[in-house]
Amino acid sequence: MPTPIIDAVDIVKDYGANRALHGVSLQVGAGEFVALVGPSGCGKTTLLKILAGFEDPTDGGLKIQGKDMRGVPAAARPTRMVFQKLALFPHKSVADNIGFPLKLQKVDAPTVKERVRAMLDLMHLKPEYLDRFPAQLSGGEQQRVALARALVSQPSVLLLDEPMSALDAKLKKSLQAELKKLHREIGTSFVLVTHDLEEAMMLADRICVMRGGNVVQIGTPTDIYYRPANMFVAGFIGETNFLPVDVARKGDAATVSSPLVEGQPTDMPADHISPDLTDKGPALLVRPETIRFVTGDPEPGLWVLNGMVDEFFIKGSSTQYRIRVSGLDAPLVMDLPGSIVLPAEVGQAVRVAFDPSRAFLLSE
Amino acid sequence: MKIERKSWTDPVLIGSVTPLAAVMLFFFVIPLVMTTVLTFQTTQYYRLAWTWDLTIWTEIFSKPHYWTIMLRTVSMALICVVLSVLIAYPCAYALATRLKTYSTQIQILIIFAFLTDAVLKTFGWILVLDNNGVLNWLLAKVGFPPETLNLLYTPTATMIGMLYNLAVYPMFTIYLSLMRIDRDLILASYDAGASRLRTFFEVTLPLSKPGLYSGAVLVFVLSLGAFLEPRVLGGGTSPMASELIRQSFETRVNWPLGAALTIVLIVIGALTLAAFGFFTLRRKATKGGAA
Repeated sequence: MPTPIIDAVDIVKDYGANRALHGVSLQVGAGEFVALVGPSGCGKTTLLKILAGFEDPTDGGLKIQGKDMRGVPAAARPTRMVFQKLALFPHKSVADNIGFPLKLQKVDAPTVKERVRAMLDLMHLKPEYLDRFPAQLSGGEQQRVALARALVSQPSVLLLDEPMSALDAKLKKSLQAELKKLHREIGTSFVLVTHDLEEAMMLADRICVMRGGNVVQIGTPTDIYYRPANMFVAGFIGETNFLPVDVARKGDAATVSSPLVEGQPTDMPADHISPDLTDKGPALLVRPETIRFVTGDPEPGLWVLNGMVDEFFIKGSSTQYRIRVSGLDAPLVMDLPGSIVLPAEVGQAVRVAFDPSRAFLLSE
Repeated sequence: MKIERKSWTDPVLIGSVTPLAAVMLFFFVIPLVMTTVLTFQTTQYYRLAWTWDLTIWTEIFSKPHYWTIMLRTVSMALICVVLSVLIAYPCAYALATRLKTYSTQIQILIIFAFLTDAVLKTFGWILVLDNNGVLNWLLAKVGFPPETLNLLYTPTATMIGMLYNLAVYPMFTIYLSLMRIDRDLILASYDAGASRLRTFFEVTLPLSKPGLYSGAVLVFVLSLGAFLEPRVLGGGTSPMASELIRQSFETRVNWPLGAALTIVLIVIGALTLAAFGFFTLRRKATKGGAA
């Protein structure tokens, strides 16, 4: 990566006796869109606040645009934040809200007006909104005003703290698409905090998955989805299956077997093994869409499990089955392409199969 | 679904409105009407005479003495509003932002002081402000000549007493306003590049205006009717309206005059509040409406 805009090294943050961040490092390149993802309390918001300058790190170094940010207040940083609850000033009009950062930079009034108008156009807001107050706008419009206020002074980094968490699903989808387009158009670096990995995968160039104040994995959406570091990252993406396996390692290669299945021990391809693989609870990550019903003898190389249909859900384009398999704690989830004829009923004994070499070997 | 027609004979409506209407009628409207009616009578040989004329009103409008006192009352009230807000705002601000850890304890102490009988507290100030009182004793201790300040029985003493008794109202209204301000708004202002001072004037102060205004109105209304402080600490040398009204009723036994002065005071108070409301509302309207 060329010189990063944000260079955070071993950031530690303590709140009293509580350690919120255990030495987190993160680089964000110019024009890059990075998402910080994790469950609540994982430290993602704390890290964002440290980047914004609202919190001081207990230890560690932070450079933004090559400049040390120690002791630099939020007001003097080249970052702008979009808050979770937007934090639009209720007593200022839309024009005054958007123009506020420029007014503070002592930009002359006609230029402020011009740039506020330009932001309004960029955000697809109507010019007659200028004199309105935030409370008179809809949720999506407020969102756009908040973005406009954050971007009007052309920051080098835009920080977004779950700005879309309060919106309904449909509006969220359209704003996500707009945000991605906006990022492409203006070329500012974006750092988005979200607990929704799907949102992060849609928007970000790189995703930083956090847990308990540590970075679990940093990678592209493809990395995160197809090569998750461990079960935590894989489970975060959505419904998936973990099949406990026995692993025999020979150097980088690994052979997996399981007493729960009918099938031969299988050699895993090198790129289907997590680099973070440990001895602790090794399992195969089997995606729901890779499992099929089988009757009779399956093709060689497949692993077969015997079970009983626990429940099924018709989702339209797909049908989801949950299969209870003895020896597995959670029912096996499988997604089949939707069809008019249901392949199995609840309570029916079934055989399901998947190709273990197409699965992904990881550990807890 | 049948849409219910609300009419004045609707028993539910009557039932729910009656208690409040009765209270307002018996304790507000009727006394006010009686007071007004009283102003058109006169007193003869210490007895009320039902003359139905404008004698009293002629007297009030022809004697500048009354208006001097009214003017003094209103200006004392306005000064008291300004000073109490100036005292209360920093206290409330400190309580809401800096002293969060102890804010409950401090509030309890303030409430204790507030609930202590006002008469007691006001007489307490005599001990402080007297020529041989605590204040002069302290000043003498640090090197000032004896009896440096002769505050007792002056309008200054009245003002000190009023401030002591009334500043707690805006302190609490402003405190509540400040507590309602979302911390993110302050951060958003810093984030946009504003200094602490700028943030205070751009965000904190405008958003605490509701508390500021309601506190100011409370102090104004209460200080217009201030009775205790001018009497105990002001010593009657520069009486305020309430003292004048008391004298008219008690000493001069001139009920119509007392009633008329009461009406004058109420009207002055109402007009001041209306003017205040008019200006603040109009400023809001020119800024673009509902905010």
